[in-house]
Amino acid sequence: MKRVVEGSQAVAEAVRLAKVQVISAYPITPQTHIVEILADYVSQGRMKARFLRVESEHSCMAALIGAQSMGVRTFTATSSQGLALMHELLHWASGARLPIVMAEVNRALAPGWNIWSDQSDSLSQRDTGWMQFYCEDSQEVLDTTLFAYRLAETVYLPAMVVLDAFFLSHTYEPVDIPSQEDVDRFLPPYEPAFQLDTKHPYALSPLVTPNAYMEMRHEMSAAMEDVLGLYDGLEEEMFRAFGRRYGMVEAIECRDARVVFVTSGTVTSTARIFLKKLRERGEKVGVLKVKLFRPFPTEEVRRALAGVPKVVVVDRNCSFGLGGIFAQEIRAALCNVPGERRVYGYIAGLGGRDITEELLEEIYGEVTEGKGPERENIWKGLQEVSHGGR
Amino acid sequence: MDSGVAFKRRLYMPRTSMTTEGNRTGSWRFLRPRYEEKTSPCSAACPVGEDIPRVEMLVTQGAFKEAWETILLENPLPGVCGRVCFHPCEGKCNRKDFDTPVAIHTLERFLSDTAFRNETKPVLPRRPPTGKRVAVVGSGPAGLSAAWFLTILGYECDVLEAMEEAGGLLRWGIPEYRLPRSELQREIGRIVDEGVRIHTGERVKKERFEELRTRYDALLLGCGLWKNRPLGISGEDVPGVEDGLTFLRRVRGGERPAVGGVNAIIGGGNTAVDVARSVVRLGGEAVIVYRRRREDMPAFFEEIEGALEEGVEIKELLAPSSIAARNGGLVLTLRRMMIEGKDKDGRGRIVPAGTETLSLEVARVFVATGADTAETWHLPPAGNDKTIRLSRCLLSFEEGVPVAYVGDLAGGDLNVTAAIASGKEAVMALDSYFKGGCGTILEDLSSCRVGDGTSLSMEIYLGGARKARSRHVVTYEEINTDYFSFEPRITQPRLLPDERRLSFDEIEMKLSAGTAMREAGRCFNCGICNGCDNCWLYCPDVAVIRQRRSGERLIDYNYCKGCGLCVVECPRNAMALEEEGGS
Amino acid sequence: MLEIRFHGRGGQGTVVATIILAKAFFQAGWQVQSFPFFGVERRGAPVEAYLRLDKEKILVRTNVVSPDHVVVQDRTLLSSIDVTRGLKRGGWILMNTPSPPEDLGRFRGWRLACCDMTRIALRHGLGTRTHPIVNTTMTGAFAKTLAMPPLEALEAAIEEEISVNPKGNVEAAREAYNEVLLVGEVD
Repeated sequence: MKRVVEGSQAVAEAVRLAKVQVISAYPITPQTHIVEILADYVSQGRMKARFLRVESEHSCMAALIGAQSMGVRTFTATSSQGLALMHELLHWASGARLPIVMAEVNRALAPGWNIWSDQSDSLSQRDTGWMQFYCEDSQEVLDTTLFAYRLAETVYLPAMVVLDAFFLSHTYEPVDIPSQEDVDRFLPPYEPAFQLDTKHPYALSPLVTPNAYMEMRHEMSAAMEDVLGLYDGLEEEMFRAFGRRYGMVEAIECRDARVVFVTSGTVTSTARIFLKKLRERGEKVGVLKVKLFRPFPTEEVRRALAGVPKVVVVDRNCSFGLGGIFAQEIRAALCNVPGERRVYGYIAGLGGRDITEELLEEIYGEVTEGKGPERENIWKGLQEVSHGGR
Repeated sequence: MDSGVAFKRRLYMPRTSMTTEGNRTGSWRFLRPRYEEKTSPCSAACPVGEDIPRVEMLVTQGAFKEAWETILLENPLPGVCGRVCFHPCEGKCNRKDFDTPVAIHTLERFLSDTAFRNETKPVLPRRPPTGKRVAVVGSGPAGLSAAWFLTILGYECDVLEAMEEAGGLLRWGIPEYRLPRSELQREIGRIVDEGVRIHTGERVKKERFEELRTRYDALLLGCGLWKNRPLGISGEDVPGVEDGLTFLRRVRGGERPAVGGVNAIIGGGNTAVDVARSVVRLGGEAVIVYRRRREDMPAFFEEIEGALEEGVEIKELLAPSSIAARNGGLVLTLRRMMIEGKDKDGRGRIVPAGTETLSLEVARVFVATGADTAETWHLPPAGNDKTIRLSRCLLSFEEGVPVAYVGDLAGGDLNVTAAIASGKEAVMALDSYFKGGCGTILEDLSSCRVGDGTSLSMEIYLGGARKARSRHVVTYEEINTDYFSFEPRITQPRLLPDERRLSFDEIEMKLSAGTAMREAGRCFNCGICNGCDNCWLYCPDVAVIRQRRSGERLIDYNYCKGCGLCVVECPRNAMALEEEGGS
Repeated sequence: MLEIRFHGRGGQGTVVATIILAKAFFQAGWQVQSFPFFGVERRGAPVEAYLRLDKEKILVRTNVVSPDHVVVQDRTLLSSIDVTRGLKRGGWILMNTPSPPEDLGRFRGWRLACCDMTRIALRHGLGTRTHPIVNTTMTGAFAKTLAMPPLEALEAAIEEEISVNPKGNVEAAREAYNEVLLVGEVD
């Protein structure tokens, strides 16, 4: 049934429908509404779950690692500094092959203190062995949360469902909330590959010498690769259950495009409007929405961008000293692919600044005019600043 | 719905069902920690060897009765000592090197007050009756102490007291404002309740004493020093010159002698100060005349301070040379003295400073320069092969039944606590004698020593838990002060000086339980385990085992690898680390 | 697509009002999007919330810069906030006020609607005497001013969203619907 709900509630509804058994979180804007709603559900008895209050995000992840090791489905939500504090334990969760699912509300890192949308927090956790999905609207957030459980519990890797601060987390829009029956059909109860049992005690992850460590890591890497093979099949199941699918990437009118904008998160929506307008003007432009970031869908990206001479990557993040992170990933994916093309990395919208249709048009103008910009990494929308003081 | 994706890869996840218990880390050990309780400096300094660290531990836990009983096993008079003891314990308290000593003295009095307020009946270990009877002459601190410990050890005991009320010096020599009569009576009442018979108004003369030898298995003589030591100067016998002890006894007996005008008190001991402060309370002016300096006065520091607060004047380095009557008053002639070198006891040696004298016109003179035995037969016999001199008493086996000379009669330290210790030592010696003859006394007593000094413990004598403690006295350096924080010492509430001058009301006031518990919490509990569980917490091999029921802590040597963390982190040195295979 | 901006103060239920309206419009067949001003909320501080309406799926994910209409829930904001910032010509300004403001000149080119929402809210016991909550009252006036959403849809949305005294809230909305004074274009 379609209801007008906040993006945070879309996450919470998915967690409720997934029959998560243990929830733990530490409050941080803009993630707070998600766990507020879940705490209500637990206290009202609408969810048969334990809500563990903890003193930090680090403790939160530690608690979930313990809980998930006992063979139950778990959930948390966090943002920004909170995710950064979790960092150490993110490795522990993936290394222990625990399919924990997290909602990560993209928020800028301090200083300056900023609670608004920015992808630097989640992208900083790129190499922790967590899957990452970047969502475009609240419906996708809900569906992807359920999908994340299914996928994570298939390959035994944790997953991060990423949504933009405020643009999604605090925005009300119509969302179709599936019935419990439909969800149950798509998402069977969690079957742990192993679980701690107090009756038959054993220790997990003891000291692992060079003899065995590399094999453990290789298996994690192989599991990530498995995701790419399993993804479409599982989405097909989701389509049959809810009538919706999204793809690892979505190539929108890329086939004949001369310029393709690569986007992620809510910027994709704005790009869709821009695309429609430009196509109406006869411009050969396309949009490639990258949803799955880890594992990185290299083949899908190559296929979508085959023969596209100019690629613009819009990044709401920055890896200082190199540039936008999505841009680097796209460049890496296109490396060793024959053919001439230019990839322009545009950094925009950091710390919650709007990325508007007009801004995208401006970028389009720059890359189509003559040979295109000189630089490969460009900051867009900067204002004059007064440095003041000493 | 059939699962379109039936995919499960097996996980490579190292795990072990071998418990860590398989790893017997104890096999690595070359150093062995063990629980070894030691002796606290306060208890070694206490003349009666009270188990102070345990008492304070119990007070901290609110176990006031148990704390009180712990004291009673070593000292039958905590209500007296909590008031008049000079508390050498506090001077040795390790806490003094950290901030300030624990108020042990005040806490002892608190426990006594609390026990009396709650009408607590102590439960103490008692030996079965021996069938032997002992007579104790004198019911002062030494006699009461002896009677108490005799009863605990199973002896029938009669106390013969010359005065009409028991207590000796406690009753007749210490002023009411330091030791109220009601408090003393409650202490004595408890001793009587234990089965001691006190016969008052029974003055024992020489003949009676000889008769007692035939009726009892042993005698204790503790009748104190009541004969004033004369000054040996002219005019000592003129009217208006009185000895201090007699004056104090009169006041304690209820008299309120007129002491108007200036009263000179000659002497520097507690009796001199007691007389001066009593004079002040009776409306007179008091001037203490002492031949040495103030810092040489044998009186307790707090007493001197109290006297000064109440307006007593102290004139130092003045020795009396004569007293003469003049114009209805007295003229005291004094010689100036000076310090030259040192005496054997470390005090400055005094010599006359030239020939200069000065005169003091006074209304009265009190002499308080010391006391002697009232009768010569009270003096213990000279040492010979039929006597055994112990630290605080003397045993004589000259004529039949053994006779113990206790308290001030035995010489040595002349104070209440020393007298209690003396009675206790004599009882332990007599018991040892009855069991094994003269030959075992020294060894038996030596095995009951608290630390390195002369204090003896009845608990150790009775084979109690304290027997297991090492005699090593814990030093400040051995305390792990990381576990303690600075805390101010409580201030003993007292009457204001102006209030004190108006009556003989007790100066020191009562303490609340909360305050007492907080103060006791400052105690390091040197050398004893108070269950802080640092050992358990820090043991990296979970080799420290807490017995839930008994509260005991054990070390599982299968796993203890001898890292010594427990010993280092023990805040109070209640553990020891020694080389494996050593003694 | 229509964009509407709501001005209020923290604690007045401005955000909830946009949610009620979003739900009512959705029931009436519109695609909706509503969100608060992205930031830190504090009681008493000026706040803004936004509502987007369209017949198509709403894709735009930016802040509202040039609204079609504005709502002012608290007249005292007029002295500190430029409520007409970016407001499109001819747009409605729905204001909580007992009577139209004196200096109408500053609203030239826009249409004005006035309603004494505070009085209505008080009469229905909404909020407290010192802090009446006018948000549901406002939605009634809003429905009349824009001639949408339908009153029935609005009433249903109020009953869904407001758990305390829903009847009073519905009645207040209905009263405001009937009482709002449509001053119309100011020139």
